[in-house]
Parts: sequence; structure tokens; C-alpha cells
Amino acid sequence: MAKVAREMVEKAGVNVDQLLELLVKNAAAELTTYYYYTILRANLIGLEGEGIKEIAETARIEDRNHFEALVPRIYELGGKLPEDMKVFHDASACPPASLPKDPTDIKAMLTVLVEAERCAVRGYTHICNLTAGKDHRTYDLSQSILNEEIEHESWFSEFLGEGPSGHFMRRGETSPFVSKFLR
Amino acid sequence: MRKFTKRELAQYNGKNGVPAFFAFNGKVYDVCDSFLWQDGNHQVFHNAGLDLTDRLEQAPHGAEILDRFPVVGTLKEE
Repeated sequence: MAKVAREMVEKAGVNVDQLLELLVKNAAAELTTYYYYTILRANLIGLEGEGIKEIAETARIEDRNHFEALVPRIYELGGKLPEDMKVFHDASACPPASLPKDPTDIKAMLTVLVEAERCAVRGYTHICNLTAGKDHRTYDLSQSILNEEIEHESWFSEFLGEGPSGHFMRRGETSPFVSKFLR
Repeated sequence: MRKFTKRELAQYNGKNGVPAFFAFNGKVYDVCDSFLWQDGNHQVFHNAGLDLTDRLEQAPHGAEILDRFPVVGTLKEE
């Protein structure tokens, strides 16, 4: 644990135990989403599905990166991950991104993907609001993740016909915002 | 439709198998089937069995999200 780092956050008025619970729940959401996206990606097949597969793969890898980036902060603040993987899964801040009944229904697949990203956008916005001006490191981390989650949402939203995403897919490395926490 | 007092609503806190209900703007919502309301708690800070009308202002979502949940009653003004 980074004792002084935790003290500084407490002194700023943040309930660190509550924040840790929230960080663990969001770490669970990232890792479980990585798992569920693996299944979704495998089922994105055919003429329509193949066009989305690469984007789902990028979102999948970046969600795993978010999990990897969150874990050190949890331990720095004196928290820990549950030992039981099932407990961890069920603590997720977002519902399971389960395969729709008809995986050939691309709109249903995209809806699952976009809903998962929207849940994440809400979650990191909440953490940013809680930590802004108080816990600089968690804020920086959450804001970095938020930037990527917003891009994921807009990619899938574009495919659903909700309007242009406004940007391209990744060119080169994944996690342009979060990578600084992974070095 | 059932009318709940605040004391009656407090019994539906989602703990130990009890149903999870909360009130918002006078309506009582059933969130038993929501993954995000397990054990009557939502995102660490919000508990079932309460009137959460004042909480939504700080939430990262609007009231439209409540349309996903069945309304099981109204909250009596006291």
C-alpha cells in the first residue's frame, strides 16, 4: 500500500473504502467484458459480422488493458481483488455482455456492445466526478479510461446508425490514453 | 397500486432475500431483477428501501433509465 498516497486522498475528503469498492467493481467489469467480448468476437461472422469483428477486438483488448491499469491503483490505495473469481464476476459494475439469442442478428450484437460501453462511460464519469481535484492519480487513470470507452461507444453507435463516430479506428497500438499506466 | 409509507419502503432493502424497491419522484420501482442492484446496493453509494429522488442529480444517467424497471406502487407523502 502507498500509505501517504492514501492519506492524501483521505485528507482531500474522499471515502477511500467506498472508492476502492467502486474501483474493484469497475475492474471486474473490464475483465468480465474482456471475457464476454471474446465470445461476441468469435460470433461476429459472415458478411456483416466480419466488418465489426476487428473493432470488437480492439475494444476487447483495450478493456483488458483497463483492468491491468486499474489493479495497481487498487493495491496502492490499500485495496485488493477478491480471491474468488465468481465473487469478482458478480461484483461487476456492469451487467454481463452476454451473447444475444440470435448471434446472426448483427443489430442485437451491436446493441450488446454499445450498452456495455455506455455502462463503462457512466461508471468512469462517476469516478472522475468523485475524484476530481481530490485524488489526482485515480482521476487521471479514470479519465484516460473514459477517453477510450467513449471512443468504443461511438464506434458501435456509428454501426447502429446513430450518427458518425467522428474518428477512425486505432492506427497502430491500442490504448492511446491508458498506455502510460501500463509501462 | 400499492401506496408505501417511507417506513414500509425501508423494509424492501434487498438484503437477505428481501425484494429491492426504491422510490423516485413519488413512484416505487422494483429492481429485484437488475444485475446492478444486487443485495439492494447500486454502485456502492445507493441503497434500496429509500427515496432516492435527490440522488439522481449526481448520477451519470438520467431518469429515463428507470423506465426499464416495473413500478410497484407510489410513495405516500408524510
